[in-house]
Amino acid sequence: MTLLSVQDLKLEYDGRTILDGVSFDLAQGELKVIMGPSGSGKSTLLRCLNRLTMPNGGRVVFEGRDVLGPDVDERALRQRIGFVFQNFALYRHLTALQNVTLALRHLRRMPAAEADERALRQLARMDMQAHAHKYPAQLSGGQKQRVAIARALAMDPAVLFFDEPTSALDPLMSREVVNILHQLRDERVSMLCVTHDLYLARAAGGRVMFLDQGRIHAEGEVDELFGPNADPRIRAFFHQELQQAQAAQPISPAQPISPAQPMDGAQPVDPSGPAGSPER
Amino acid sequence: MISFLAQMLEYWPQVLSGLGNTLLLAAVISVTGLVGGVVVFYLAISGGPLRRRLTEGYISFFIGTPLIVLLFLMYYGLPQWGPKLTPFTVAVIGFTLNVAAYNARYLMTAFRGLDPDELQAARAQGFSDMQVFQLVILPQVMRLSVPALTNQVILNLKDSSIAFLIQYAEFFAQMQDLAIRSFRFLDAYLVAGAVYLALVSVVVVAARWLERRYVLPGVRRAR
Amino acid sequence: MSFLQILLQLTGGVGYTIMVTVACSLTGVVVGLGVAMLSRLGASWLSAVLGAFTFIFRAVPVLVLLFIVFFGLPNAGLRVPPLVAMMLSLGVIAGAYLAEVFRGAFDSVDASEVLAAEAMGLSRFQILRLIEIPQMLRFAVPGMINEFTTVLKYSPFAYTVGIPDVMKEAMSLSATTLRGVEIYLAVGIIYFLIYKLLVTGVWALEKRTRIPGLTG
Repeated sequence: MTLLSVQDLKLEYDGRTILDGVSFDLAQGELKVIMGPSGSGKSTLLRCLNRLTMPNGGRVVFEGRDVLGPDVDERALRQRIGFVFQNFALYRHLTALQNVTLALRHLRRMPAAEADERALRQLARMDMQAHAHKYPAQLSGGQKQRVAIARALAMDPAVLFFDEPTSALDPLMSREVVNILHQLRDERVSMLCVTHDLYLARAAGGRVMFLDQGRIHAEGEVDELFGPNADPRIRAFFHQELQQAQAAQPISPAQPISPAQPMDGAQPVDPSGPAGSPER
Repeated sequence: MISFLAQMLEYWPQVLSGLGNTLLLAAVISVTGLVGGVVVFYLAISGGPLRRRLTEGYISFFIGTPLIVLLFLMYYGLPQWGPKLTPFTVAVIGFTLNVAAYNARYLMTAFRGLDPDELQAARAQGFSDMQVFQLVILPQVMRLSVPALTNQVILNLKDSSIAFLIQYAEFFAQMQDLAIRSFRFLDAYLVAGAVYLALVSVVVVAARWLERRYVLPGVRRAR
Repeated sequence: MSFLQILLQLTGGVGYTIMVTVACSLTGVVVGLGVAMLSRLGASWLSAVLGAFTFIFRAVPVLVLLFIVFFGLPNAGLRVPPLVAMMLSLGVIAGAYLAEVFRGAFDSVDASEVLAAEAMGLSRFQILRLIEIPQMLRFAVPGMINEFTTVLKYSPFAYTVGIPDVMKEAMSLSATTLRGVEIYLAVGIIYFLIYKLLVTGVWALEKRTRIPGLTG
C-alpha cells in the first residue's frame, strides 16, 4: 500500500532549478534511500514533503491526502512525519528525556508521567535509557543521533525522514546508524533516507534512488545501481566520492549547505547561518 | 509648543551657551576618559599581582557606584575641608575617573581575545614589555574596542546632563531654567530630549564611519 | 558622629534604593522581552517601529526623560507618582537596552533547533515559548547583569522626585552635619555593596538554572 506518493515535484529558487520533476512512491513499511551528491537537492526534497519548503509545482500525496493544497493543516501533517536532522538538532536546554517528551506534552497534551513513561520506552528502544537525564552537550554524536530518532518515534509517526544521518558521525558510528535502520525496518517502520554516503546507501538495504541536479536518474535495488551496468552519472559520483574519501580524512565530510539552497520557505529562519554560539 | 519655541528664541544666547558647555564637557571627558582608560588598562595587565588586584578593584568600584555620588562628594563634601572646586572641574575629575574605569574594562575584554602566541612572538623577537604594549597590544585592542569606545562617547554625551545636579550650566540646566521661567515644563523637557536625540544621532553616524574605517578585517569584534 | 554611625543612618534609605532598582529592572525586562519578541515574530514594518523605539530611548538621558514624565506630564494633565515616574523613565530606557541584549541572545539560538521544532509540528508561539526564550534568557545573563547594574547606578535620580532613597538621606544628613566627604564616601560604599550583592545574586541564580554545554 502506498504511503507517500510524489509526482513531478518542481522547485525553483533565485532563478535556479533545485528540483526538476521528481517522482517516486514510498510503500507502507518500506525503506527507501535517496542518494546523490552535495547540492543535488536531496535535503530540499525532504523539506518539500512536510512543507518546510513550498515547491513550485507537482503533487505530494501522503496517507491519501494532498500535502501541498491550501487547506492543509500543516502542523498536523508534520506530527505524522518524524524528521531526523543531519546535525540532530536536539534542543540544547533540554535533557534527552525532555527532548523526547516535548512534543508529547505540548502537542499531544499528555500528562507528565505518561509522557515520561512513553519517552523512556522510546529511549530504551534506542538503547539510551541510561542517558535519559543527560543534556545534549554531554552526549556523543552517535548518542545524540539515537535521542533524535527516539524523539521522532515518540509521536508514532507514519514515516521517518532521515536527512544525511551519517554526515556528522565517524565511520564507526555510521555502522551503528545502519544497524538502527535495520532494526526499524524489521519493526516495519516506513523510512525515507537522504544521503551522499555510499556506504550507508549500500548497507541500508532498501531501494535506492539516485538524485542529481534535481532529477532522479536511476532507481533500483542496491545490486542494480551499484553493478557494472550502472548509469554513467552514478559512476562519476562514485568516483568523485571515493577520491574525496581518499584525499581527505577518515571522517566522511559533512555536506556543506549551499546558501542558494532554500530550506525553509515559510519562516524567518536562516538554516544556512552558522550554528550560533552564545555571545559572551 | 510654538509659543514655547518663540520664548526659547528669546533666551537663545543662554540656550546656546548651555549647548556649548554640554559639548565641551562631553568632549573633554571623552578624551581624558580614553587616556585614563588606556593608563588603567596598562596598569592592569602589566606589573605584579598586587597592582593587578588594585586596578581591578578600581575598575570594579567605579563601575559599581553611581557617578553622582562621586560628584556630590567633591562638590558638596570637599568644601568642608577647604577646596571649593568649580562645577566644571568637579565634573571633569569625576567623569574621568568613572569613564576611565569603563574604557579600561572594554580594553581588558578585547585583550582577553588576543592570541597569546602573538604576544609571545613579539617578546621572543626582543621587544620590551612597553614596546609590546605600544606596538602590538594597544593598536589591536583599540581597534577591537571601537564599537564599545564610541558607545561610551554617546553615554558621556547623555550623562553630561547629570552635571546639572552640581550646578554646571550645561544645556539641560538652561532648559530647566527656561522651564521654570515659562512654566512650560513639558515643552521645555521635550525640546531638551529632542536635542539630545539629535546630538546622539550625529555621534552614531560618526561612530559608524569610524567603525567601518578602523575595525580590523578578519578579527572578531569585542562586545 | 563616627563613620559607622553615618553608615547606620544611611541604611534607612537602602530599602527605597533597592525598591527603585528592582521595580525599574523588572520594567526593563518586561519592556525588553516584549520588544524583542515582537520584532522576532512581527512583520518588517513592526520591527522598524520597534527599532525606532529602542533608538530613541537609548538616546535620551535618563534625567531628561524622568523630568518629562514627572515634571512635564502634569502640564498635560497627567500626574504620575514618583516610583511610576522612575519606572517609565529609567525602567523603559533599561527596556530599550535590554531589547538589544535579548535580540542578540535570540540570534544565538541555533536555527536548526527552530527548524526541528517546526518539523515537529509546534506552532510559532510554542517554539518561542519552549525553545527560544529558555535558551535566550540564559545567553542574556551577562547583558542583563550589566543593565541591572546601570539601573542601580541611575537609581539615585529618585531623590529628584522625592523618593527617600540612600541619596536623599545622604543629602539631608550632610545638610545638618556638614560632613559631606564621609557621608558620600559611605554612600559610595553602600552602593558598591548593593552592586556586589546584585551581581552575586544573579550569578547564583544563573548557576542554579545552568545547563551543561549551553553557555560555555
